[in-house]
Amino acid sequence: MPRSDQDTSGAPTTEDLEDLYENAPCGYLSIKPDGRIVKVNATFSAWIGWAPEQLIGKRFLDLLNTAGRIFYETHFAPLLRMQGFFHEVALDFQTQQGKSLPALINAAERRDSEGRHLFTRITVFNATDRRRYERELLAARTAAEAAKREAQELRAVAEASLLDERATAALREQFIAVLGHDLRNPLSAISGGAELLLLRTPLDDRTRSIATLIQRSAARMAGLIDNVMDFARGRLRGGMQLENMSDAPIEAMLRQVVDELQTSAPDRVIRADIALSASVTCDVRRIGQLASNLLGNAITHGAPDKPIRLGATTRNGRFELFVANAGDPIPPAVLARIFEPFERGILRGSLQGLGLGLYISSEIAKAHGGNLSVSSDAVETRFTFRMPLEPLDLQQE
Amino acid sequence: MTACTRNNVHIAGAGERAMMFAHGFGCDQNMWRYVAPAFEDSFRTILLDHVCAGGSDLSAYDPSKYGDLSGYADDVVEIGRELDLRNATFIGHSVSAMIGILASHKAPDLFENLVLVGPSPRYINDGDYTGGFTAEQIGELLDFLSENYMGWSAAMAPMIMGNPEQPELAEELTNSFCRTDPEIAKAFARVTFMSDNRADLAGVKTRTLILQCSEDIIAPFEVGDYVHRHIAGSKLVIMNATGHCPNLSAPAETVAAIRAFV
Repeated sequence: MPRSDQDTSGAPTTEDLEDLYENAPCGYLSIKPDGRIVKVNATFSAWIGWAPEQLIGKRFLDLLNTAGRIFYETHFAPLLRMQGFFHEVALDFQTQQGKSLPALINAAERRDSEGRHLFTRITVFNATDRRRYERELLAARTAAEAAKREAQELRAVAEASLLDERATAALREQFIAVLGHDLRNPLSAISGGAELLLLRTPLDDRTRSIATLIQRSAARMAGLIDNVMDFARGRLRGGMQLENMSDAPIEAMLRQVVDELQTSAPDRVIRADIALSASVTCDVRRIGQLASNLLGNAITHGAPDKPIRLGATTRNGRFELFVANAGDPIPPAVLARIFEPFERGILRGSLQGLGLGLYISSEIAKAHGGNLSVSSDAVETRFTFRMPLEPLDLQQE
Repeated sequence: MTACTRNNVHIAGAGERAMMFAHGFGCDQNMWRYVAPAFEDSFRTILLDHVCAGGSDLSAYDPSKYGDLSGYADDVVEIGRELDLRNATFIGHSVSAMIGILASHKAPDLFENLVLVGPSPRYINDGDYTGGFTAEQIGELLDFLSENYMGWSAAMAPMIMGNPEQPELAEELTNSFCRTDPEIAKAFARVTFMSDNRADLAGVKTRTLILQCSEDIIAPFEVGDYVHRHIAGSKLVIMNATGHCPNLSAPAETVAAIRAFV
């Protein structure tokens, strides 16, 4: 080497390839095809703590930890043979002092002109901080994925329990419908039996009054069952189904209902004022059911010594029906949710039974495109049903 | 989807007899590139990727099916049936050696020869049995693997997997061989290194050749010898090749040993 390239201390003033190899800011290793080290630079030797002469002849994989060795054999060595290089491999060396040296390495095979593998060159970058950072990133990603999985599982559980709840509710409503249906048959036998007794058999007064009581109770019970079934069916099918007819015989139906209720409560005065001038399209059986519910309600809650009034008119394109009674006013809290079914409010615990009558009546009103309203003060309690003469098809609205 | 599509089966060569090559953990059918062509003159060669590697259909990856080696063996049998194989030769590297043994139990007529390259029926030491690793070391391996799959990203996967008409896309990427989804690769690593198939060795009726490398830390000599002693009539060949992949590091020696056996 020419003297002009060195200063007085002996260190090279221009780049020296030998020095570059030995003291490069990265480690250099060359390994033979059998994996043994044939050459190593001073930088790597200093990092790993073994002298170069101790490293020569050692297997490269003996410098790694166990996981690194397995990775070397299953990934690193095969990939090098196949593509001739392998970049950005993370490996942990074991230093002579038994410490871990996290590194990133690049490797490339040196082949001769005929493609025969001569040796492999490996460049080692000390990457303690970078590897630690990457590990933290990995741990954060793993934690994020675990949290995401957990959230998904929770959501699945919540959805399953909601489905379960819906299935339970549907089952309950189906049960009510079946129960109502099955109760009707024995009830009609009871009611029919009482009717036969009254019609065909000479009875003493006491027996006659018992037979009458049986018949009335059976009729009231039939009404309750109708309500229960309507409730269940309405819930199951998402609304009440109507069998509408035009020019429905409303007056006849209302008179029949009034007669029935009067028979069941002979001591009470029921005044009916029915004045219909236009034809109404409606489900007349349902309108009868609504009137029966309202009258039954008035009989139960109204003042016993005051008359109950029922009025029906067709005015201004609307059909209107009201039932009014005197008696104690309905408390505001009860009034606020009087049309809600039993399960939403407090059981009213009335003599009427389940408390479905007003709910069903209001559903009947809605199904006809109308509404049922209530007013209650010290003078009277009045339920009013209003509907258009031709009910709107709600679905076309 | 056929089993052959699912497992990215490639068939080459001519001949009455068939030779099926199955890769080990860490790579794919590419690792037979210096060995399989040598048999194409006299064998129909069948190369496959397990569902976890290479060009296999990763959407077919079912964690419960592939939760042990039996699921992989089912695939081998299914491919054999689809190709109507009888009395073929199965060459399994590393974990595929055990997959071949399981397949030979499931379908005894499929293979007349088993060539086990670096087999290990159990990698973890157990009492008197030396597998080469402790359970802790295998645990460290599973953690460590994540650190070397940084290069695999969701954005890259379609480029690698889905562009057969543009192979240059994949070639532009470094380390493009033997890539796969890191989560599936980790699952395969777990299945591989946690497996214990010692009990399956005794019943092997198929002619068996064991190729044991010198200085193989994955499947040390004691393990190859154990396999040899527990498969009645098996032949053990100790190779000069070092490491765990003689099919890559010493293809000529590997080809010669297989040829002499079949």
